[in-house]
Amino acid sequence: MENMEKQEYKVRVEHLTKYFGNLHVLDDVSFNIKKGEFLCVVGPTGCGKTTFLNLLTRIYMPTKGQLYIDNEPADPKKHNLAVVFQEPSSMPWLTVEQNLRFGMEIKKLPKDEIDRRVENMISLLGLEEFRDKYPHQLSVSTAQRIIIGRAFAMQPDLLLMDEPYGQMDIKLRFYLEDEVIRLWKETGTTVIFITHNIEEAVYLAERVLILTNKPAKIKEEVKIDLPRPRDVTAPEFIKLRNYVTDQIKWW
Amino acid sequence: MSKVAKENLSAAEIREQRMKILYKILPIVSIITIITLWLIATNSSSGNFPSPADVWERTVRLFTHPVKKRNLILHILASLQRVGLALLFDWTFGIAFGIMIGWYPKLRAFFSPLFDAFRAIPPLAWIPLITLWNGTGELSKVIIVIFGSLQSIVINVKAGLSTVDKMYLDVGTVFNATPAQRLFKIAIPSSLDAIFAGVRTSTSAAWMVVLAAEMLGAGNAGVGLLISRGMDSMDMPLVLTGMIAIGLVGALLAIITQFAERLICPWTRKTK
Repeated sequence: MENMEKQEYKVRVEHLTKYFGNLHVLDDVSFNIKKGEFLCVVGPTGCGKTTFLNLLTRIYMPTKGQLYIDNEPADPKKHNLAVVFQEPSSMPWLTVEQNLRFGMEIKKLPKDEIDRRVENMISLLGLEEFRDKYPHQLSVSTAQRIIIGRAFAMQPDLLLMDEPYGQMDIKLRFYLEDEVIRLWKETGTTVIFITHNIEEAVYLAERVLILTNKPAKIKEEVKIDLPRPRDVTAPEFIKLRNYVTDQIKWW
Repeated sequence: MSKVAKENLSAAEIREQRMKILYKILPIVSIITIITLWLIATNSSSGNFPSPADVWERTVRLFTHPVKKRNLILHILASLQRVGLALLFDWTFGIAFGIMIGWYPKLRAFFSPLFDAFRAIPPLAWIPLITLWNGTGELSKVIIVIFGSLQSIVINVKAGLSTVDKMYLDVGTVFNATPAQRLFKIAIPSSLDAIFAGVRTSTSAAWMVVLAAEMLGAGNAGVGLLISRGMDSMDMPLVLTGMIAIGLVGALLAIITQFAERLICPWTRKTK
C-alpha cells in the first residue's frame, strides 16, 4: 500500500537536514511532489530557501536525509534537473539561441532534437527578433525569460526556480508569471518555485509549502484549488493569500 | 536630427553637442602643440635636436640610401617578424600555461612561486645567458622578446580563469557538465575578454622589448638597429625617424588587436 503511494510521486524529499558547521539551516524537511505538479515554497527572508534549492540541485549535499526522483536517489548524472537562478544566469558570450541550446548541448542531445526544441521555445516565448542578440543587448526581463526558456527546453524531471522575478516590477511580473504557467501547462514539467512573494505563490501554485524561520522546517502545506487564470482581486484569492501571510507571520 | 531638433535642445544637450565637437578638436590641438614645442626645442637647442624637416628629410633618405641594404619598411618588417614569432609562442604556450595555472589550483600552487620569480627578472637581465646559449642570432632576439612579453599574457589568462563567476559554473553543475565541458564551454569562453586583455598587453610588451633586444645585440635589421646606428654616428634625425616609426607601428598594433577583439568577442561591445 505504501509502495503504491510512493510510485505516483515524481519527487520525494525525506528528512532533508543541512548544517553549515554549527549553523543549522534546514531541519528535517520532508515532502512529495506529483508528476507535473507546480509547487511554491514560501518563507521569511533568510530562512534558507536558497540553501534548500541548492540541496535539491546537488550544488550542496545534505547533512542528513535524501532526495528521490522517480524513486531513485537524485543524481545529476542520471536525472535531468534545471534551475532558474535569482540572478540572470545567461551566458554573456552566447546569443539568445545559443543560450537556449546550451543545456541540451551539455547533455549531448541529438542535434535535430535540439533544433526542434529551440525553435519551439523561441516561438513559445516570442523571441524571434532576439535570436541573434547577446544578453547584454536585452532588458533584464528578456534575459531572464531566456533562462526560463533554457530550463523548460531541457524537459527536466524537476525544474527549480529561485525567485526568478525578484527584481522585476509588478506589471512585468504578472506577465512573466502567466508565461511560466503557459510553459508549464505546455510541457507538463514538475516545478518547484521558490519565492518570498506570497501573492506570487498563491497565483502560481497548486500547492504552497510554508517554511519557518531558520532552521527551516515545513510549517504548513496549503492546497490552492482556484481555477486558472486566477484573479488576484477575487475574495477567495485574497482569503488564501491572507491565510498564507498569517502562517508566515505567526510563529 | 536636422534644423528642427536644434531649436529644441536643453542646455545640457547643447553642452553635450559642444563637448562632442571639442573632443574631436582636442586631439588635433595636441598634435599641433607637440610639433610647435618640437620646433621651439629645435630652435633653442643649437643643433643638438633635429627639426621636423630634418627628420622628414632623413626618413626620405632612408629609402634612397638604405641602412644595411634595408629601407625603413624592411627594418620595421624585420622587427615585426621577431615580434610575430615571439607572440606565436606567447599565444599558444602562454595561453595554455595561463589556463592551466588559472583553472587547476594544484598547478597554480606549484607554478606560482616559480613564475612570480621569473616575471620579477627584467627580460634584459637574461641577455648574457641567452647570448651564451644561443649566440647573437635571430633566436636569441626572439627569446628575449618572449621573456619580456610572456608574463603579461600568462597573468591575464590566469586571472580570467581563476575568477570565473561561480554562477556560470553552478549552471554547469546543474546540467551535469563534465570537467572538460566546464573548462571549454564555460570557463574559457567566460574568460575570453581577460585572455584578450593579455593578447593586447603582450603585443605592446613584445613591441617594446624587441627594440631593446635589437639595440643591444648585433644584427643587421630592425628598428632598434636604426636607433643604435643613429646613436653611434650622432645621427639624431635617424634616431627620431626610428622613434616615430616605433610609435606609429605600436599604435597600429593596438588598433589591430582591438579590432580583432571586437571581431572575436562581439559580446564585449557595449552598444545597443
